[in-house]
Order: sequence, then structure tokens, then C-alpha cells
Amino acid sequence: MTLSIYELAVLSASILAIFLLGTTYIRTNLGFYSAQTMAIAAATMLAGSQREPHLYVIALIILLLKAVGIPVFLIWIADRIDAQTDAGTYLPAPLSMHLGILLLGASYILSSELPMMLGHGQGSSRIGATAAMSLLFSGILVMLTRRIAISQIIGFLMIENGIYLFALTQTHGMPMMVEMGILLDVLVGVMIAGLLLFRIKKSFEHIDASQLTQLKD
Amino acid sequence: MGQLLLLSAIPLILAFLSLAAADERSVRRIVAAMLWAQIAVVGWFVAPLLLGAQTLLSFAPDFCLDRLGACFVMLTTTVVACAATHADTFFAGEAEHGHIHNPAHFKIFYACLNMFLLAMSAVFICDNLGYIWISVEATTLFSAPLVYFDRTKNALEATWKYLIICSVGIAFALLGTVFVFASSQHGAIVQGSLNITKLVAHASELDYSLLRLGFIFCLLGYGTKAGIFPLHSWLPDAHSEAPAPASAMLSGALLNCALFGIWRVSRIVVASHHHAFAYEMVTVLGTLTVVAAAIFLIRQHSFKRMWAYSSIENVGLILVAIGIGSGALFFLQALNHSLAKVALFLLSGNIAQAAGSKRLHDLHGVWKASPPLGLLLALAALAVTGAPPFGAFVSEMLIFQSSATPAHWLVATLLVVAVAIAFVAVMTHVGRILLGGAKADFRAFKPVLASLVPGALVIGSLVMGVFAHPRFWEGL
Repeated sequence: MTLSIYELAVLSASILAIFLLGTTYIRTNLGFYSAQTMAIAAATMLAGSQREPHLYVIALIILLLKAVGIPVFLIWIADRIDAQTDAGTYLPAPLSMHLGILLLGASYILSSELPMMLGHGQGSSRIGATAAMSLLFSGILVMLTRRIAISQIIGFLMIENGIYLFALTQTHGMPMMVEMGILLDVLVGVMIAGLLLFRIKKSFEHIDASQLTQLKD
Repeated sequence: MGQLLLLSAIPLILAFLSLAAADERSVRRIVAAMLWAQIAVVGWFVAPLLLGAQTLLSFAPDFCLDRLGACFVMLTTTVVACAATHADTFFAGEAEHGHIHNPAHFKIFYACLNMFLLAMSAVFICDNLGYIWISVEATTLFSAPLVYFDRTKNALEATWKYLIICSVGIAFALLGTVFVFASSQHGAIVQGSLNITKLVAHASELDYSLLRLGFIFCLLGYGTKAGIFPLHSWLPDAHSEAPAPASAMLSGALLNCALFGIWRVSRIVVASHHHAFAYEMVTVLGTLTVVAAAIFLIRQHSFKRMWAYSSIENVGLILVAIGIGSGALFFLQALNHSLAKVALFLLSGNIAQAAGSKRLHDLHGVWKASPPLGLLLALAALAVTGAPPFGAFVSEMLIFQSSATPAHWLVATLLVVAVAIAFVAVMTHVGRILLGGAKADFRAFKPVLASLVPGALVIGSLVMGVFAHPRFWEGL
């Protein structure tokens, strides 16, 4: 089976996400996040040439806002609050990377269970579903295994990327207005979370989310 | 489009005004007064729907309002207006007790309050699953600053958990929305659609396996936001750390928005002739939530956390109503819960403020220290737990009756037992707060003025119970 460029772009996004799982430097993590989002933008562009022209616009906005804007913003914050590495909580980074690879395999098996959604070439749909699910799992893994608050934002962004990729590969593309609204929400959400990060650093003198356990019954 | 602008004009103007105005005290008054004007505007728009002259109010493609939505928009606006009205007294009392807040924080609070109202109203007006998702996520973003108002460590922790848990939860609702969208690409709607009216009309042609996946993810996603049992952890934190008017809005208005999302998706599943599936999923989760909340209610140490768990209990009951498929019961239970719970959170704010603590251990003798606050607390607690003659009694009774079928006897039994446990638990805690010797340093700030809004809400709940007539909610 040879992969088309589209499938390669989609798969590289999920593989970059697995690389992200294996590193603990926040700057490197954000670099991988940016690269994975660029791969998604490229896939959107390629899909646009085959199907809906409005995907070009979305690809451009993703490239500008999600692949460049958000990582630059988060790197700026990480520098200001002096967050360089995230040692992780339960799983060491190499182990979680291996788990990510296993989950990629599991996604491939799971994707055959999914009802086929798009007519154009079954393989493309399956690779797309695999990559999207693997990205989703990687995002969840980041949220579960990382310790500091900024990693939780990265995990959320990866989950969102996975869902976007799912919509891109499995449907004819969500309506333009809906995509724009989602992007706006994500952008505002990241900004609010970023501002809260400053506050957490200032009040608690650390940004370790696993130590935020004052509130309980 | 013009109508939508008119509907959102007052909150939008107020949001800008709150940011621009120099004097935070006048902002508090103006916002409170203008929100009552907003109720009039909304009421004027939805009057034909409520009176039964029209069944659907269409604003633009993908934006329309049916009777149920109209009822909820009215309820949401009323809750926010009540909370804003009470907030003036509450914040004045905070200053009196030495909790001076930065004027800039008030600006952010009032600007976000108005945008929060807009986002919540949008949930009911959008006729498109994608737009509903955007609105629900927007409610999280605009309410996070409300939770963070006190700027304490605890408030920060609660806000962070609220933002992260709800955002991730809602992300799963987005995945569900994508599944529903994908399911619509089979059959009649070739390009796919997220328009709910269209989806309901073509429900039997949707790909069922995808629709089912979509429904499960939407249920869990919006359920996180509504606080269903295993995913509720953010809810007590946010409700207890937010200032009282914000807690009242979170509990009395925001939870309804998330539940409305579930209701809309469940309508599509029901229209595709899979009643049993929707019923079982939603009702079982709802029952589980009621039972879990009742157990959590027994051992409580914090005043506001107790009301948060009581909200979770009511979310469970509302889910059962959604599972039964009755829009009327859904609204009735939500209305009765909102009336009583808003009153309770507002009162709790004043009582905690006067006593200087929200730990149940430190609260006693409120009856002696401040009879109006004590009396209202007792009545509102009775109202929220579903004691007759308050409105919640009628709606809970109707829910029990509808769920008590021979096939689902277990659900009905569990519900009755759990609601009874919750009643006893809440009454025990409230009894301890009311009785006993008064605290020496209990200083209630203008107790009569502070009782106005909660008192009106309790009377509203009483009216809903005494004069409840099927005519009110028929055809919802």
C-alpha cells in the first residue's frame, strides 16, 4: 500500500504527536505541537484542492493562529514563568512515547470498527481515522501523565487537533462558520488559561497542577 | 438578524459600559436595573411563543426559538438579573466586612457577567449543533473570570480546574458533534448538516451507528459541564469558591444550558426511532448521579459545597426527565431547581459573609442572629429538596410517576430512596446552621435588603407548587 501525500501529512501529524510524548522540554514540546499543526494545515490545504475550496481559508488560519500564534504565545509565557521541563507524574516520558506508539496501533485496529464515512477511497478514510484517533489518544496521554499546568494546555490543544483531524478526514468538512467559532473559542480559552498560569505562578510559586489539591470534601 | 441584535443589544452595551465606566458602584446598579429591562425585551420577543400564538420563532438560518427554548431564555435572563440585583447588596456587604476588591476586578466581573448571559442565551437560540457547542464553550470562558473574582489561592485552583476539566469535557462533545455531522452525510443530506431541525426531519435516514456514537460523546461532554456523577469534580469547587452571585448563576442558569445541549441531541436520537437507547443511557446516568449526590450530601463540611452537591442531585433528576423524553418535565424541574437554588446560593453568600466562614462547623444559631435570613434559608432548603408545597415537589412527583414503569422499577425505587436521603441530609445540615446559640460576631449586612431577591424567589417557588396546573407546561 502506498500512501498519498495527503495521507502522509495526516500520519506525520500523529507521529509528531508521539515525538511530543517522548520529550520533556516545554519549548521542544511546543515545537512539536507547532509542527504537528503545520502538518494538519498542509493536509487541510491538500483536502481543499480535492474538495471544498473554503478549506484553503481554514488552512491559512490554522497555520497563522494555531501553528504559529498559540505556540509563540505559550513559549513567551513559559519563559516568563520559568517553566522549562515537565518531568511527568506517573509515566516517564520514554514509556509514554512507547504507549503512544501502541495506541497508534490500537487506533489502526479501532478505525476498522468505525463505519466508513466518506466514499472517496476507503484507505484514505481509514488512515485519516487512525491518525486522528492516535492524536486524540496522545493528547489524553499528555493530560494524564504530565505534571505542570502548561502541559495540560498542550494536551487540550492536541485533543482539539485530533478532533479537527477527525472532522477533516471523515466528513466533507464542517461548515466554515462552525470551524471559525471553534477556533475563536480555542484561542480565547488558551489566552485565559495563559493568564491564569501567571497567577498560579505568582500565588503558588510553582505551576505544578498535580499539587493543586487544596479543595476537597 | 436585526432581531438577534435587538435581543443582545442590552447585554453587549452593558459589557462595554462596565469596562469603560469609572465608578464601579454605579455600574453595579446600572447593570442590575438594565438586566430587568432585558427581561422585558426578551419577554416581548417570546410572548407569542409563551402564549401559544406561535410555535416557532425564526430569526435567521440556524437561529430559531421554540417554546421550550423560549421558557429557558426567560429563566436564564431572570436568574442573571436576580443575581446581579442581589450582587449590589452582597458586594456592599463585602466592603463593609473589610473585603475590599480592586475596582478593576469589578469591571471584569460585570463585563463577563453580561457576556456570560449572552453566551447562555445563545445556547437556546442556536438551531445548529456546531453553534450550540461554540456557545457552551463560550459560557465556560466567560464564567471562568467570575469564579476567579476573589483572587484567592482557592479561587485560582477552582478556576483552573473548572477551565481545564470543562474544556476537555466539552471537547468530547465536539467529537460527538462531528460524529452526528458524519452520520448526516448518508441519505438525504449529501453535504451533511448540523442544523437540528433538518437532522430531526431526516433522522431515520441518518447512519445510526454514527449517531449513537455521537450521542454518547455529546452526553458525556455536555454532561461534564452539567456535573453528571463521575465527571462532576469541578462543580463543587467552582460553586463554592465563586462569589455568591456567580455561584447562583452557575447553578441556576449554566447547568440548564449544558442539559439543554443533551436534550437537543437526544431529540435527534428519539426522532430516529431509537427511544429505548436514549432513554436507557440518559436515565441510567441520571439515576446514578442522583444516588451519588445523595451519598455525597451526607458528609459535608462546607456550606456552599453542600448546595453544589444538591445541584448535582437535581441535574440527575433533570437527566431522568430528559430520558423520559418530556420537555415539560425537563423545564419544570429546571425552573423549580433554579428558583430555589439561586435563592439558596444568594442567602448562603450573605450568611457566610456575616459569620465570616463557610465551614458548616462554624455556622450555628442563624435563626437567632438574623431571623429573616434564617427563615428564608429554611424555606429555600425545603423548596430545593422537594418538600410540599413548593414547586419542586410537583415536578419531582411527576418525574417519579413517569419513571415508575414495571420495566424500570429499579430506577424509580433508587430515585425515591436517593431523594429521601438527600432531603434528610440537607435538613440535618440546615438544622444545625439554624439552631443553637447565635455567634457573637455574626454581623449580617442589611439583612432585610439582602432578603428581597431570595424572598421573591422562594415565593415564586411556592406559587409554582400551589398553583401548579398542567396548563402551564402543556405543549412544551
